[in-house]
Amino acid sequence: MLSLSADITESDVDLRMVNGDETALAGDIRHGLVLMKFAEAVASRNEETLSHARQQLLQEAGAEVLVDAAAVAANFQRMVRIADSTGIPLDALSAAVSVGVRKELNLERFASAQNTPKGGVKQKLLSLIARPMALRMFNKMSE
Amino acid sequence: MSHHSYDGSTYPIREGLRGAHRDYWLALARPGTWFTGAQRIAIAAEVRNALACDFCRERKTALSPYALQGEHRSDTALPAQITDAVHRVITDQSRITQTYISQNAAQGFSEEKYVELVGIAVTVLSIDEFNRGLGLPLESLPEPVAGEPSGYRPAQASAGTGFVAMVPVNGANGAEADLWQNGKTANVLRALSLVPNAVREWMAVGREQYLSPRGMAQFRDIPGRSLNRMQMELVAGRVSSINECFY
Repeated sequence: MLSLSADITESDVDLRMVNGDETALAGDIRHGLVLMKFAEAVASRNEETLSHARQQLLQEAGAEVLVDAAAVAANFQRMVRIADSTGIPLDALSAAVSVGVRKELNLERFASAQNTPKGGVKQKLLSLIARPMALRMFNKMSE
Repeated sequence: MSHHSYDGSTYPIREGLRGAHRDYWLALARPGTWFTGAQRIAIAAEVRNALACDFCRERKTALSPYALQGEHRSDTALPAQITDAVHRVITDQSRITQTYISQNAAQGFSEEKYVELVGIAVTVLSIDEFNRGLGLPLESLPEPVAGEPSGYRPAQASAGTGFVAMVPVNGANGAEADLWQNGKTANVLRALSLVPNAVREWMAVGREQYLSPRGMAQFRDIPGRSLNRMQMELVAGRVSSINECFY
């Protein structure tokens, strides 16, 4: 979704920031470093780190941003548990759209990747069409 | 007493968030589909116990979740199987398997109950995590409302996608017509559809914490939010990466 959002808004985003790479934060995401650190602190469950990250985000971006960031982080603490607890595979279309991203971020290393069958040539071919189609569709819907 | 008023907070918490969290607490207290209100609240209590459970912490580092024997930190009267399931969903979900769910079902802990349990566990967790993110105390759990579970199972639910039966992509009709529109959905929305109210309840919270299904197609600024979509996805992506979320 970050990748699609960056493409649609023609923004400069290095996806490696999702894996915690601070050198990838030079792009167009405002308050990127403090948002990344706050998300890390919520997910890592270290209260001392979280307290520091919260203050940093509050000081740099303000209380409304902090509230919305806490809400998004809280939501995604849930999503992985729904997916893994029910063993759902990635949807065929999502799998096709995200072939490149999954490779770039090395997501196959996660245990839950086993719930999604390996894509193979068919998925790679579908990805060539699916991503541009998704971009066109979301661009239109975002207008 | 009104829950989730956030009166003690100095943060500008949107009414949408307050309302979604408050509504969920009301739903949590009522009889569900397979559990009573008291049992649903006990499951919520176990979510909190799981996060401080020494046995869970130890088991998480074991080669197999079955390698260790021990007792969970628990202060509810839930059966051991159910307590264990809550703790696993919260602390070790990536090692839940079809076999685990099937074996539980063979011993009377049905997949319908398991799905409702997952819905409660993850929704309570996400509301608690919002408070924790802001450094606010956790909300007290509600008092149960008396009554019996409905026992409703959507007739069109079938096995084949993940570990549990789900409403098929083209099956959101009749009483389930509101779950998704136009026969288009994602597996994560179908995941808990064996208990349709579990989907409705987590979606209502997710709509405010993150985005509605319609909002998912909005990739620029999001009305009423202080984060743009890229900022939201950075937070979402970083949390998911640490949680080792492939999905």
